[in-house]
Amino acid sequence: MEKEIKEMSFEEALLKLETIVGELEDEKIELEESIKRFELGVRLSSHCLAKLDEAEKKIEELTRNQDGKLVARELKLDDL
Amino acid sequence: MNFKIYTVSSLNLKIKNSLESGFSNVGVEGEVSNFYCHNNRHLYFDLKDDNSKIKVVMFYEAKKKLGFEIEDGLHVLLSGYISVYEKRGDYQLIALDAEPVGKGSLALAYEQLKIKLKEKGYFEEISKKAIPVIPRAIGLVTSTGGAVIRDIITVLSKRFENFHLVVRNVSVQGLSASREVCEAIDDLSEFGSGTGAGVDVIILARGGGSLEDLWAFNTQEVAQKVFECSIPVISAIGHETDFTICDFVADIRAATPSVAAQMVICNKSETVKIINSLLDRIKNNLEKNLAKSRQDLRYLSDRRIFKKPQTILINFWQGHDAARKKLADGAKLKIQSKKSAFGALQILLSEKPIIGRIVLNKMSVNNDLFRLFSGEKNKLESLKNRVGILLKDMDSRSPVSVLQKGFALVIKKDNEKIIKSIDDAAVDEQLQILLKDGILLSKILEKISKKP
Repeated sequence: MEKEIKEMSFEEALLKLETIVGELEDEKIELEESIKRFELGVRLSSHCLAKLDEAEKKIEELTRNQDGKLVARELKLDDL
Repeated sequence: MNFKIYTVSSLNLKIKNSLESGFSNVGVEGEVSNFYCHNNRHLYFDLKDDNSKIKVVMFYEAKKKLGFEIEDGLHVLLSGYISVYEKRGDYQLIALDAEPVGKGSLALAYEQLKIKLKEKGYFEEISKKAIPVIPRAIGLVTSTGGAVIRDIITVLSKRFENFHLVVRNVSVQGLSASREVCEAIDDLSEFGSGTGAGVDVIILARGGGSLEDLWAFNTQEVAQKVFECSIPVISAIGHETDFTICDFVADIRAATPSVAAQMVICNKSETVKIINSLLDRIKNNLEKNLAKSRQDLRYLSDRRIFKKPQTILINFWQGHDAARKKLADGAKLKIQSKKSAFGALQILLSEKPIIGRIVLNKMSVNNDLFRLFSGEKNKLESLKNRVGILLKDMDSRSPVSVLQKGFALVIKKDNEKIIKSIDDAAVDEQLQILLKDGILLSKILEKISKKP
């Protein structure tokens, strides 16, 4: 694996996953190789799914404090 | 002579004073020609109509207040006063303000900036950055007082419930708006890269309004800032029909703020579906491949050599036995016939004892016997060899026979995969070494590559 899956961005992992599906469907691949691709595909897809859940819901407002430093504070909007 | 004599300087000065007081506040309309600007400061040009022209100077102080740019061919209404350039004795209009004739100055400024930035390559597709599918955090530059932020949050909540939005509040119209928008882009870039908050995309959003209302997003400074921003920018200014300069420079234009919210992050449930369907396709493919391999194996194992190896041997043994029988019978027959021939010879010899002929005949009998035996023997040998080769061939294909020869098979402890390369095992990993009489459980101490 040229790049560790856990280091991959969502886009990279999804692209790789799509490539693997294409290779498996288009080419004649030895059984042993297709098992390897399968394992890789499973790991890529679970990485993608994990990426979707990675963020935590937050709505913040960015302001500067007295020292001029940027701080993000939770933003509360009345009718949300 | 009843006239006053002046020096040239004093005459020009007097004319200057007279003209400046007589034409202290004039407006004049005409077309700009012979435009010249030195070091981006004072402007020099002629204003002309069909029959006449007048020299015009616009000093830097007045020029920098203009929203648009003076250029040749432009029809303008100038206001100012008449003065004299004493060095040459030229009179000229000192322009203090200018208005385009026929269209508003904002509309003109918009068109001029659009052409200028286009020529500079600010709108080129090649410089546009891709919007990430799942931004870690979304930067939003807008007024937190408006409806825009609510629209955006509503759409985001529907698409991707665990979104992270970082809002930077700005005035979206008024004198300070373009400066505030620029600062906000800088702040989001700084915050996004500094603390690992990961602002991967910035939306500039504002509701609809007149050209004046949207003006902050038509200024060169905002255009410049958006162009130089290292984070991709989505421009969502006004209604679908409003196109701002910022829209052209941004990496992507959204028709409305709600559309920007749709563009900025994928629809989570749909994305999960896509990933699962890809996974299904991989699974199906593997199953298909496994079924095919099973079929291949069955086809091979159905072949007679594997199913009933003894039938082939039986054929060979039959052939062997028949050959033996033939050999024995043949030999018996030949010996018989030679015996009788010999008997006849003996009778003949007892009657006519000629030593030389006996020796000759004896030799011929021996030769016949030798030929007979060696021929059959060769046939038998080659038959034996063929059976031997066949058995050996069958044997050598079995991994078990490889072990019998003293070779070993190394397999992974956990999934029993065959180790074919030093890359297949890790240091400290436990492996099983299969030998003819059992298994050695072992551990890798070191990997030594064949390549230096």
